[in-house]
Amino acid sequence: MDILTAFFNLVPITFAQSLVYSFLVLGIMIPFRIIGFPDLTSEGAFPLGGCVCAAFLVAGWHPLAATGMAIVAGALAGATTAFINLRFRINPLLAGILVFTALYSINLRILGRSNVALFNIDSVFDMISPNLITSVPLQIACFAVVLGAVWVLLRWLLSTEIGAAIRLIGVNPDLAPSLGISLWTCTIGGLALANASTAFGGALIVQLQGYADIGMGLGILINGLASLVIGETIVGRKTVTRQLLAPVIGAAVYYQLVSLGLSLGLHPSDLKLATAIFVLLALGLPALRGGAIQHERLRV
Amino acid sequence: MTQTDGGKPLLDCRGLEITFNPGVADARKALDGLDFMLAEREFAVAIGSNGAGKSTLLNAIAGSVSLDRGTIRLGDRDLTRLAPYRRAGLITRVFQDPMSGTAAGMTIEENLALAEQRGRRRGFRAHLNPSRRDRYRDLLRTLSLGLEDRLTTQVALLSGGQRQALSLLMALISKPRLLLLDEHTAALDPRTADIVMQATLDAVRQTDVATIMITHNMRHAIETGTRLVMMDAGRVVYDVSGAEKNSLTPEALVERFKIDNDRMRLNG
Ligand SMILES: Nc1ncnc2c1ncn2[C@@H]1O[C@H](COP(=O)(O)OP(=O)(O)OP(=O)(O)O)[C@@H](O)[C@H]1O
Ligand SMILES: [Mg+2]
Repeated sequence: MDILTAFFNLVPITFAQSLVYSFLVLGIMIPFRIIGFPDLTSEGAFPLGGCVCAAFLVAGWHPLAATGMAIVAGALAGATTAFINLRFRINPLLAGILVFTALYSINLRILGRSNVALFNIDSVFDMISPNLITSVPLQIACFAVVLGAVWVLLRWLLSTEIGAAIRLIGVNPDLAPSLGISLWTCTIGGLALANASTAFGGALIVQLQGYADIGMGLGILINGLASLVIGETIVGRKTVTRQLLAPVIGAAVYYQLVSLGLSLGLHPSDLKLATAIFVLLALGLPALRGGAIQHERLRV
Repeated sequence: MTQTDGGKPLLDCRGLEITFNPGVADARKALDGLDFMLAEREFAVAIGSNGAGKSTLLNAIAGSVSLDRGTIRLGDRDLTRLAPYRRAGLITRVFQDPMSGTAAGMTIEENLALAEQRGRRRGFRAHLNPSRRDRYRDLLRTLSLGLEDRLTTQVALLSGGQRQALSLLMALISKPRLLLLDEHTAALDPRTADIVMQATLDAVRQTDVATIMITHNMRHAIETGTRLVMMDAGRVVYDVSGAEKNSLTPEALVERFKIDNDRMRLNG
């Protein structure tokens, strides 16, 4: 009984956090599902966003400017992965590994040491309301508004001519040149957009927690994938709207599940193993069921 | 009726040379110093044995293979070093494989919208809107395949013939200056092939777009187009138009075909 009470008490704060992690899951979904590029950059772009934001805050920059720099840094990271893949014909997975490995050193350089506290420095949240850090309902309202705005922006972008060209790259890249679509522009732009979202999530988390840590990206990709898979199971991916809703709903459910697991006694260090097994099962089950796989492939 | 009439040709290919796998023992020239010109409104049908270099010529014009030597001009633009996606507004194609000309995972209207925007600057305008939909519906109606009621159907659900007819519409919707057809009815059953071929002829006649069509079908080669071009070993070996083309018979053409094949074997 105590266990469940502990879990229920945590539901609101976990929900608030999952809204922030939604930016990361959106940043994973866009390359994987819309551009058809299995991009691992977010493992480095998430802490990059956090470290860049923290470094600029410590240097006395305005919180909005520091957050903006984090977004730019994330976009650059994504663009780099795309460029490595296109220019050197390196497999997307390997291109992502190269970038997030390099980013580990870069993040350490940016931060100066392995963790930095931001307790006496104003964050974007202090700008909105001094009570935000302590008031969970206020956090939820604020994050929901920002996430909603980003979500609407993404939904609109994907319905424009440019958005349609980006979606084509994911559906039939061979057709792109004959439709006058540049594979380079769309891939670089799409990955930049995705990792900008991821880095924005990193910047928000750092300001919410009040510290930046070099290890904050470890395993974040698999958390994001788990969230995405859960979201897609719930809302499906038949339409662009559903595909865009999946990360948000998936993150909300995933982080509650994690919270539940922890209050049931799951050791925090076993969490990654549990998540990895979960993702394996979720992605692997259709293959065991045979025919389903081809059906899925059509809409990658 | 030939390219020499009325000044500059629309398409002007000079000395095209392409060798695949150079330096390797079986390296061979797919295009061997080929010259080819096409006038505005001209409809050339290209024939030739397997491996003659017909597809390679179209690929070179569209930019999907790069030239070892030679130049390609269209109107007053030099295309030789232009990226394929930048040529798309000028030159469009329909391939043999119905799968490769359309995006299966998107709807009919999305495919048409993507095709219509080729060659223009894509912006933050809505990809689809009611007036575009109306236009696509009217266009699809011209095919008489019932596709006008299925704008939001995924292309993956269409038959090969329907997809190929859609590919044709997509190729023409952006008003290209040159249309390239590479055996675009060869993968279809005879009845569907006839429908798609008829749609092609109607569309080419209405738009007057300059066209190069590759075919292995002697009847199509004789009956369609204003000019007939035979290729062999990366060169044009026979080129007729006007009255001379109109007087060709399938038998005469097959006869020439054999001769060319024999000579190729003698030389090889
Ligand atoms: N991508 C490629 N790599 C290597 N060789 C190629 C490639 N494309 C074409 N070739 C070779 O170039 C030559 C010309 O091929 P091409 O496809 O142009 O012939 P074709 O006239 O279209 O023949 P078909 O009637 O069979 O379609 C052939 O010897 C072919 O093997
Ligand atoms: Mg061919």
